[in-house]
Amino acid sequence: MVQEQHRGEREKRPKFFINDNVDILREILKRLDGSSLGVAACVCRLWCSLTRNDDSLWEHLCFRHVSSASVRAVVVALGGYKRLYMVCVRPVLSRLGESERVRKRVWTRHEVQLSLSLFCIDSYERLGSGRIASDASASSLMFLCNTINV
Amino acid sequence: MGDASEVKGECSGSGKGKKMFEEEENEDKLLAGVGYKVCSSDMVDVAHKLDQLEMVMEEDGISHLASNTVHYDPTDLYGWVQNILNNAPNHPITTNSNNAIIPSPLTPVPENDLTAIPLPYIEAYPQTENQNCHKRFKSSSSPLWPAISSDNVLPVVLVEEAGVYLVHALMACAEAIQLGNASLASSLVKHAGTLAVSQGGSMGKVASFFAQALARRIYGFYPYETLDSSYSDMLHTHFYESSPYLKFAHFTANHAILEAFATADTVHVIDFGLKQGLQWPAFMQALAVRPGGPPAFRLSGIGPPRLDDPDSDSLSQVGLKLAELARKIRIQFEFRGFVCNSLADLDPSVLDIREGEFVAVNSIFELHRLLARPVDIEKVLATVKRIKPEIVTVVEQEANHNGPVFLERFTEALYYYSSLFDSMEGSVAAPNEQALVMAEMYLGRQICNVVACEGEERVERHETLGQWRARLGLGGLEPVRMGSNAFRQARMLLGLYAEGGEGYRVEENNGCLLLGWHTRPLVASSAWRLAPNGLHPVRDQNEMNQDSRYCYVKE
Repeated sequence: MVQEQHRGEREKRPKFFINDNVDILREILKRLDGSSLGVAACVCRLWCSLTRNDDSLWEHLCFRHVSSASVRAVVVALGGYKRLYMVCVRPVLSRLGESERVRKRVWTRHEVQLSLSLFCIDSYERLGSGRIASDASASSLMFLCNTINV
Repeated sequence: MGDASEVKGECSGSGKGKKMFEEEENEDKLLAGVGYKVCSSDMVDVAHKLDQLEMVMEEDGISHLASNTVHYDPTDLYGWVQNILNNAPNHPITTNSNNAIIPSPLTPVPENDLTAIPLPYIEAYPQTENQNCHKRFKSSSSPLWPAISSDNVLPVVLVEEAGVYLVHALMACAEAIQLGNASLASSLVKHAGTLAVSQGGSMGKVASFFAQALARRIYGFYPYETLDSSYSDMLHTHFYESSPYLKFAHFTANHAILEAFATADTVHVIDFGLKQGLQWPAFMQALAVRPGGPPAFRLSGIGPPRLDDPDSDSLSQVGLKLAELARKIRIQFEFRGFVCNSLADLDPSVLDIREGEFVAVNSIFELHRLLARPVDIEKVLATVKRIKPEIVTVVEQEANHNGPVFLERFTEALYYYSSLFDSMEGSVAAPNEQALVMAEMYLGRQICNVVACEGEERVERHETLGQWRARLGLGGLEPVRMGSNAFRQARMLLGLYAEGGEGYRVEENNGCLLLGWHTRPLVASSAWRLAPNGLHPVRDQNEMNQDSRYCYVKE
């Protein structure tokens, strides 16, 4: 009898699917770190399209505490936060931050500046060569992608 | 069996007949005492062949000696060793690190090819004075074969560090040039070139470039100095990508300009060497995120005329690219390009400097080219003063390659470029092999210019920070300290290149930033402004005379 009661209660409670509430989903995804976001992209088509197309998810990842309207405008103009993360932020973080710092930590102003500068140079280099999708042409940042010889 | 008889035939045949007769006259007395008949003039060859034999035995073992071939007449050392070598099974063709094919000893070497060294040559070359010819060339890696050619007359020498010997060979050659001994220099340069090829690594590459440059100097074959061409552009771009030096220069100069300019509606930058305009995207981005909105940005880019394609307008193309970027990030941008052969030809009135602009002059590795004619540098400094900039950023190589004595210049350059090549080899920067090779060629051209050219053709007249301080001070400029922010950003940038903090060093020296590899500073970045009363007295008399290293202030 208790079981029936529970079943009834369960039926009365509205079923909650996260996929129906995309705004809440966005808020959650915003707070993930890079690799988790990548994993999230593999969950289902909705999540995949969100992570691919919604740049604001990546913005939070890039400059968690250092963001302003002007920075946003620049980044968007140069290719978006997802690209910024892939091309600059992730390699820079891994090169600079591995030893002492924690994963989720505050970016310093200098790191922001440095990443933005490198990102801008990358965009500039792509201008002349046409919109090539692969990273092969933007050689100026290739040094970030190479593994460090230990 | 058949081989042995052939060899025997060779020994007693006409080819050797003459030698047999001579042998009685110049056979080595010492060896004759123990029963070996060797002609003194053949000693070198015998030594060489003994080396080869030992190499062969190391690789193949002595199994072939157990074969049925009979080697006749071991007292005739020359023929005997040759015979064994000819019978060594399948000796592989060895290649050195630069993939040049060296003929294996199996190919019969005609007698005329290996000529003995005339004695006076050896005596003149100080390195082999106390060493006999019969020594072996050792290196840390695999056994290396020097290229066998008719010119290669100097035998291999035993050293612990082959690199030291290589440096010595180059220095001896430079000394010979300094003393005017062309024939000695010419032999030495060939020798140095051979050693360089077999050395490999960054040392070998530097040495190859230096040997080439020395050869050009000796034979008077001066390379055409292309002021600009698409090839030079490509080399420059690859150097930008493969090493942090240009990025360091750009970032620190940008920082100095940004810090100096507080509030103004327009920033006008005069770039003495626009090249591909790689400095300005980062600058524009920094302007764009400035609190309070970006100012308008005017860029006057100066560049040399294109020799290979006079009609093409490379400056405008760069300007267009920068304009497109500026449009994207919503910065008001204006570009003008000026073509001139030399900065001394620049007339400040064409720059159209407007009222209320914040003017900056930027020179990255450009000023040293003017030192070929003293009047040029004075003219340019006067031009700068007429422009009345708020800030002048100067980045130059930290080395003295402008001394009057060739040998000193050569020595300085050798150590400077060795460090430079070392750093490029050691860091992670090279995106791929090809880019690294191009970057090295970019530096190789500089090396060629420093060593082989003279007079107005020699444009790579680098000077040290101390010398520039004095020069710019006399020209009416006073230094501006580069802030600690610039220092931190530079250090961070270099942190991206370094392997765990090793290698690149950013140091501060009296307000200027120096980027170096380990203990050797290589590039100096400084900022200047007009001295208020015209002439700035040199503070420290020592600064004018000092070319040697400073003690650095670490943050």
